[in-house]
Formats: sequence, C-alpha cells, structure tokens
Amino acid sequence: MFPETWFYFELVFLNLSYRKQAIMKVLIIEDEAGLREVVQQSLEKEKYIVETAHDYISGFEKLGSYDYDCILIDIMLPNGSGLDLLKEVKKQKKQSAVIIISAKDAVDDKVKGLDLGADDYLSKPFHLSELHARIKSAMRRNNHNGDNLIVWKNVTLSPEQRTVSIDNNPLVLNRKEFDLLYYFIINQNRLINKTAIAEYVWGDHTDQADNLDFVYSQIKNLRKKLKDSNAEIDIQAVYGIGYKMT
Amino acid sequence: MKLQNYTLRYLAITLLLVIPIWAGIFYVLILDEVYDNIDDDLKNSKIIIIRHAFADKKLLNSPEFGINKFTIKPLPKGHYPTKDTFFSTKEFMEYDNDDEPIRILKSFFKDEEGNQYELIIKASIVEEDELLQDLFLALIGLYVMLVISILVVNHLLLKKIWKAFYVVLNNLKEIKLGTGSRLKTINSPIDEFNTLAKEVEKMLDRNESIYSSQKQFIENASHELQTPLAISINKLELFAENSTLPDEQMMEIGKITDTLNRLTRLNKSLLMLSKIENQQFSEEENINFNELISIITEDYSDLADFKKVKITVTENDSLHFKMNKGLAIALISNLLKNALIHNYPEGFVKFIINKNEIIITNSGNNAPLNSAVIFNRFYRHTTTNESTGLGLSIVKSIINNYSIVIEYSFTGDHQFKINFPKK
Repeated sequence: MFPETWFYFELVFLNLSYRKQAIMKVLIIEDEAGLREVVQQSLEKEKYIVETAHDYISGFEKLGSYDYDCILIDIMLPNGSGLDLLKEVKKQKKQSAVIIISAKDAVDDKVKGLDLGADDYLSKPFHLSELHARIKSAMRRNNHNGDNLIVWKNVTLSPEQRTVSIDNNPLVLNRKEFDLLYYFIINQNRLINKTAIAEYVWGDHTDQADNLDFVYSQIKNLRKKLKDSNAEIDIQAVYGIGYKMT
Repeated sequence: MKLQNYTLRYLAITLLLVIPIWAGIFYVLILDEVYDNIDDDLKNSKIIIIRHAFADKKLLNSPEFGINKFTIKPLPKGHYPTKDTFFSTKEFMEYDNDDEPIRILKSFFKDEEGNQYELIIKASIVEEDELLQDLFLALIGLYVMLVISILVVNHLLLKKIWKAFYVVLNNLKEIKLGTGSRLKTINSPIDEFNTLAKEVEKMLDRNESIYSSQKQFIENASHELQTPLAISINKLELFAENSTLPDEQMMEIGKITDTLNRLTRLNKSLLMLSKIENQQFSEEENINFNELISIITEDYSDLADFKKVKITVTENDSLHFKMNKGLAIALISNLLKNALIHNYPEGFVKFIINKNEIIITNSGNNAPLNSAVIFNRFYRHTTTNESTGLGLSIVKSIINNYSIVIEYSFTGDHQFKINFPKK
C-alpha cells in the first residue's frame, strides 16, 4: 500500500468538504412548520447554510435578497403558488438548483414544474436520504465547473461515466450495484432507511417484506465487492432500521 | 320477456278461457231462444189448425202427415192431459238423405160433440251439431282476430306509449357514475313516464354529487395525509440518525418507520386509484405491449432472480393498444408483481402475447383464488402485512377505464387473461 496516495485522497476529500461548507446555501420554502424544521435540521447536518420561508411573500423576499445554491419549493403555499416562485427564480436568471416539493403526486404538476425549469420534483412524503441525493444531484448538474467526481476515502465515483475506482483501480459494478453505491456515498455517514434504499434503486415496486430481504442480499454483494477491492468504506447494518456507510 | 309480449301472453290465456265459457252460455241461450220461438210458432199453428178443423170437419181425420205438417187422430173417450207437450225427435228427410231433428207438439182437444182428438204438429228445427260447429269456427275466428288485434294494438300503440319508458331504461343502462353522463330527455304524453324521468334525473344528480364528493374526499384525505406522514417519517429518520439508543429501542423506531412507510404506500395506492377513477390519466398514446413487457420484465429480473422465479415471454403476435402509458405500466407491473409475490422458489411466470390478448400464468399456491373478490379493494389472500391489497383493484380500475376485460382462471396454475378489444 501507498500511504502517500491515501493522504492525497484525504486531502481532496477535506478540500471538497471545506468548499461545501463555505459555499452551499439552501433555501426551504415550505408552509408546514414540522417539515421545514426537520428538513432544516437534516440539511444543517450536511453543513449547509439553511434559510427558510413559510409562505409565498417571505419566499419571494428571500429570493430577491440572497443567492442560493439550491432552493426547495413547496407548490401549495399560503397566498401563492410555488410554481410562480420558480418562475421568479428563472426570471432573475439565478444559478440556483430548484427542487419542487409537492403533496400532489400529480403528473401535471411534475411536468409543469420541470417545464418551468425546475431541476427535480419530489413528492411528499420522501425520505431524507432521497432529498439529499436529489439536492446533490441537482447541484452537481447545475455546477458546470466540470469537477464532478465524488471522492471519499480511497473510492472515486463518476456519476456521469458511471464508473468507480478504488485506489485508481477500476471496480466493476452492475447497474443496480452502482446505483446503490452512489446512493450510499451521497448519503455518507447518514443512516439510510431500508425502504428508502429499496425505493431508490428498485423504484416504486417494493411493497413487500421479502423485497427488503432482497435489498439485504444486494447490499451483501456490494459489501463483498468493496471488501475484496480493499475499499476503505464499508456498509454497516443498523438493526431494524437500515444501513449506514462509513 | 318484454312487457308487450308479457301482457299479450296473459290476454291470450285469459281469452282462451273466457271465450269458451262465453260461447257455452251463448249457445245455451240461443238454443233456448230458438226453441222458444219454434214452440210459440207450433202453439200458433195449433190454434189455427183447430180453428180450421172446426170449420172443415174433414180435417178432423187426417192421420198421415202427407204434405201437411200435422196429424189429427180421433181418440176413444177418456181423460187426456189438457196441457200441450213438446218434445224433440229425429226424422228422415229426403232432401238431406239423413235424420234431421224436428220439434213435435202433442195436444188433445174435443170437438163440439165432445169427441176426443189428438193433434200432432211438427216443425223442423236447427241442427244442433251444425250450429255447434259453426259457432266453434266463428269463435276460433273471433279468438284469432282478437289476439291479432291486441298484438297490433300492442305493437303500434303500446310501443308508442312505452317508447318514453324505454328511453328512460336506456338512460339508466348507460349511466356511469363519475363520467358526468347526461340523460336523454323524453317527451311523453303520459304523466307517469315524465315523472319517472324527472325522478331518475334527480336521483342521478344526487348520486353523482355523493359520488364525486366521496371521490373528492378520498383524494383530499390522501393528499392531506402526505405532509403529516412526511413529517413523521423524516423526524424519525433524523432521530434514529442522531440518537445513541440501545439496539432494542432502535428496533422499535425501525418498526414505527416501517409502519409509516406502509401507510405511505397505502396512501399512494389510494391516490392512484382515485386518480384512475377520476380519469386524470387522460393522455393516450399507442402502446407497444411487446416492448413494454420486455422492459418491465427486465426491471423485475433482479427481484425474480432473487426469488428464483423464472420469467418467460412468448410473443405470438405484436400487440398495440391506445392508452395512457403510466396506466399501461401500472397494469403490467401490478400483475407481474402479483405473480411474483404469490409464487415459490423455482416457480415461473409466463407471459404470452397474442393478437388481442395477454396471458400471464404463474405457479403458486395450489388452490384457486376466489375470482369474485380478488379485484376488491383490500382483499388479501394471505395475511402479509406488507401488501396493501390494492394492486389488483388498481388493475381492475385501469381496465374499467378502457374496454379491456380481465379474467382469472385456475388450472393448477394461476392465470390472468387480458382481452383487448378487437380492432
């Protein structure tokens, strides 16, 4: 092994984290206090600077006064529609990534939102891990600087190329395994609910208990591959709840 | 049986009973009247003959009928009944070359000298059997004519009268709650039908509003539940992440989260159902089911491999149908999911695509399902906690939106056959 290389990757990681801490600003425009609170707490754990607005008017004011890297907008707001706020963001030609959050899982709303320039659409209820994945994907897509590799410890993952390398040695993963690893890396150090994993990787068709066993078996495979290629990251099971990558 | 024919049947049977009874009475009465008439005539002849006999003594001795219609015979003295007697008998008639019925009047009288005579007068009467025959024929004629005329009246008049009723009936047949179907108006001269139509319309409006408010309620309730569910799930997720609880307590939190996730799925399925029923999936495109099935089976191949179930697709023909893409996906994936869930290791799921049908066969429990209830909401064959019991009702409501038919059959394996309308 080459400790120098490890050191180099640590540095890159720290550097990236530092940049994240310094830059990422998120605005939550959501009228439900409970949801606003929990999303804020969860995002703050990611070292984002989080601001909140509880209705259309306060959302509009915040949009006018500050720049954000990512804006979460609920469609149904008191005294206005979130879609109008989205239009406002686009009018101001801001570089913010916008994610629409709606209780209405309606295709119309989704299409309308995406047509108006939203980067993503998330219907309530969602898992926090899913929210993080969406925010990171949206910000990454929105950030045209090209540096899109995700590096953690000795693992480097390219979301665009869909490749993974460990200590610069390519690791061959199938489609689902890659999705799984990507989800874990984006939610590093966070506890991910097993249902959230199932929904992310296998879509909406996971409403059976044995599908969670299925998730378990897929994770077991991924763990084995990571271990075999000496990855410094590992997936831990948190009994009864889900998994955590450390 | 149609209303018209129904009344006609009863009328025909009633007439069949009434007419012979009436005919019998009529026959007796007529016969009685005829005899009465003839008897009167005979009595009249008697008076005339006796009067002539008093004038012309020769007549008193005419024992043979000859060309006359009477005989007078002298009788020895004695007591004879003073009352006339009438009776019917038969006599040979040359004209007919047959015995014909005649009516006889037998009377006794005395001349001026007190000699006793017997007078017999005969008159030809109606032939009863022929009368009966004629009457019978006439009655059959009458019966047929009555039935025909009732039939004609039924067909022309009743049809016209009941037309409004049939319009109402058709309206009722075509009513589909939730589609906002309107009723055809009727304009009948009959008050009852107009009232009926009005009441049906009122009832429909009432039902329509109840139905839509109920649908709206389910949809709103499901929507409103999303946010509290989101808050609860997210708070628990964050709590689990932040806490350093012992394993048993983490386990409990995990169980609560699982339950909330189940509630979320249930809620989403209900929303999906009410959206399908509200026809909110209106966008349609031509779906290539061969392609769709191969994509979906590919999506599920990991799960199938894990469950050691073999999925095969046999394409005998290509199947295209115009419908909403999301619904087509939901239709096939719900059926596939169902076939995978109720299966066993080393089992199979077979898709057969024919010209106008898709057949999905899967191995599974060795007992047929109750096809009357499997499409019902919340019907569960097994008591799996994780199943919402809404998958097949989603299938059913998708199918109800198009003119597709689904049939379940059991031949050792479970089979769902989807029949698409022929083009």
